Amino acid sequence: MTLLISSITMGLILSLLALGVLISFRILAFRDLTVDGSIALGGAVAATLLSAGWNPWIATLAACLAGAVAGATTGVLATRFSINGLLAGILVMTALHSVNLRVMGKSNLPLMKETTVVTLAQSFASADSRWSFSRWEMPVQDACVAVFVVILISVVAIGMLAFFRTNLGLAMRATGDNDAMIRALGVEVGWMKTFGLALSNALVALSGALLVQYQGFADVQMGIGMVVWGFASVIIGESLIGSKFIGYLLAGAVMGSILFRLLVAIALRWGLNPNDLKLVTAAFVFSALVMPSLMITVKKRFAI
Amino acid sequence: MLEIEQIRKTFHPGTPNEVRALQDVDLRIEPGSFVIVIGMNGSGKSTLLNAVAGSFFVDKGRLKLKGQEVTLWPEHRRSKFIGRVFQNPFTGTAPSMTIAENLTLAAKRGCPRGLGWALSSSTKSELRERVYAMGLGLEDRLDNAIGSLSGGQRQSLTLLMAGLLKPDLLLLDEHTAALDPKSADQVIRLTEEMIRRDKLTTLMVTHSMHQAAYLGDRLIMMVRGRIACDIQGSEKQRLKPEDLLARFEDLRREELLDETAAAMLQRQYV
Ligand SMILES: Nc1ncnc2c1ncn2[C@@H]1O[C@H](COP(=O)(O)OP(=O)(O)OP(=O)(O)O)[C@@H](O)[C@H]1O
Ligand SMILES: [Mg+2]
Repeated sequence: MTLLISSITMGLILSLLALGVLISFRILAFRDLTVDGSIALGGAVAATLLSAGWNPWIATLAACLAGAVAGATTGVLATRFSINGLLAGILVMTALHSVNLRVMGKSNLPLMKETTVVTLAQSFASADSRWSFSRWEMPVQDACVAVFVVILISVVAIGMLAFFRTNLGLAMRATGDNDAMIRALGVEVGWMKTFGLALSNALVALSGALLVQYQGFADVQMGIGMVVWGFASVIIGESLIGSKFIGYLLAGAVMGSILFRLLVAIALRWGLNPNDLKLVTAAFVFSALVMPSLMITVKKRFAI
Repeated sequence: MLEIEQIRKTFHPGTPNEVRALQDVDLRIEPGSFVIVIGMNGSGKSTLLNAVAGSFFVDKGRLKLKGQEVTLWPEHRRSKFIGRVFQNPFTGTAPSMTIAENLTLAAKRGCPRGLGWALSSSTKSELRERVYAMGLGLEDRLDNAIGSLSGGQRQSLTLLMAGLLKPDLLLLDEHTAALDPKSADQVIRLTEEMIRRDKLTTLMVTHSMHQAAYLGDRLIMMVRGRIACDIQGSEKQRLKPEDLLARFEDLRREELLDETAAAMLQRQYV
């Protein structure tokens, strides 16, 4: 039970990453690799500020802002300097590795007695109170954290849903869908992409900040492969929901993230070597990317 | 309305594939006139429209719209004045967004876009009316993705989007060329209606001699990046497709003559 709830909580925290990736990957059609750096940046900023005694909400917000700046940098490189989008992301991601080390001052920063948003959520219950369902038993504090994260994700998702129905949000979606068209309607595509990437990476950094507070430590390596996790969640979500409408996409990304995290927990339980996890994830995303076109080819073969 | 002064555009200058797409083109278009542009493939018709819309900056010369110099304005800024329909039905609409969403995007052409609600119920009923007035039967499908429509339907909607805010200048680049004859006729009918009703200043490129002869009140023919003839007023009113074909034939002969003359000169002097 504890394992289940912690996997779900983890999946929820990482669903912010998935929502961020959804903005860049699906809405802007921009393959943004900044993510690996900005999730660690969010973690680094939050952990550093927390251990300096800052209010956890402000520390978390600061992490978001840092992520937004990182995303905007990628946007500026890609649109103002016309660098290939993938390369722009790689450049910023690489630079962020040094930035994160600078921010933290070392490669690993534990959070011991600091007040974090997670300890604030836990403080709604006493440390030794437990819920039990027949054979299962779980600390109430874990449930408090899960509920807190659910509320937070709901607020973010509803905010995004509302944003994508405003004039600005609609223009952002059109930027990814058909940039020639939206340019002819008076939108500066470069600015819109930069703004979208800032938004996307702010969410990713928020995910990193929460992750750090949940795990109780920040590590410069924590971002490695995260962008692929984001892709995986978005892709799973799409196949679960099967609709291109924006509300469904958002719900799908969250569900995809949770499901993916559960799959990982099950695989590890069944004896998957944790060291192989990233390889398996990459293989999964690869097959999800090629499967649709492969299916079409196969169908054509059999049709003839 | 539109003043084009001596504009020039060369693609890939100084390389073997240098193309002089526009060579010192001069053109003045009065408000409310409907100008047809014809010419052979590669004669620079699209380049002319792109230069006006701001898809690129011209190498030389000046462009004025509504009395304002716009030569160095980027495309998104000029869109305040310009409505556009492209040759490819896929270029004018965002396929994964709904009909209503595409139309609201167009309803904000050239305006700043803020956090206001894009599709309030009043906007939606207004849009429904506009779509209903086109008579395509799409008014009940406003929430369908535009990608699910046929090319003709998409092009009609693009036309509606371009004309939604009564643009000061409407640019149509062979907007019926990719459609089947029936849809093309329908789109042309809608185009004519809209231009007449809203008195839109229009620049329309076409390959159809029929359209060229019977539509518009002025016709320009482009040859190798230049305006080769400009027919207006009563002469345009009397113009028949046969006359245009005859003119085309003349021009081709002249060009052929040019080429053989050049070949002769080369043989003699090289
Ligand atoms: N972006 C570009 N880059 C390089 N060359 C270009 C570009 N756009 C147009 N050209 C060239 O400029 C010349 C004029 O092209 P343009 O598209 O204006 O012709 P057109 O009159 O519209 O022809 P068509 O009837 O085939 O549409 C052509 O030789 C074309 O190859
Ligand atoms: Mg053309």
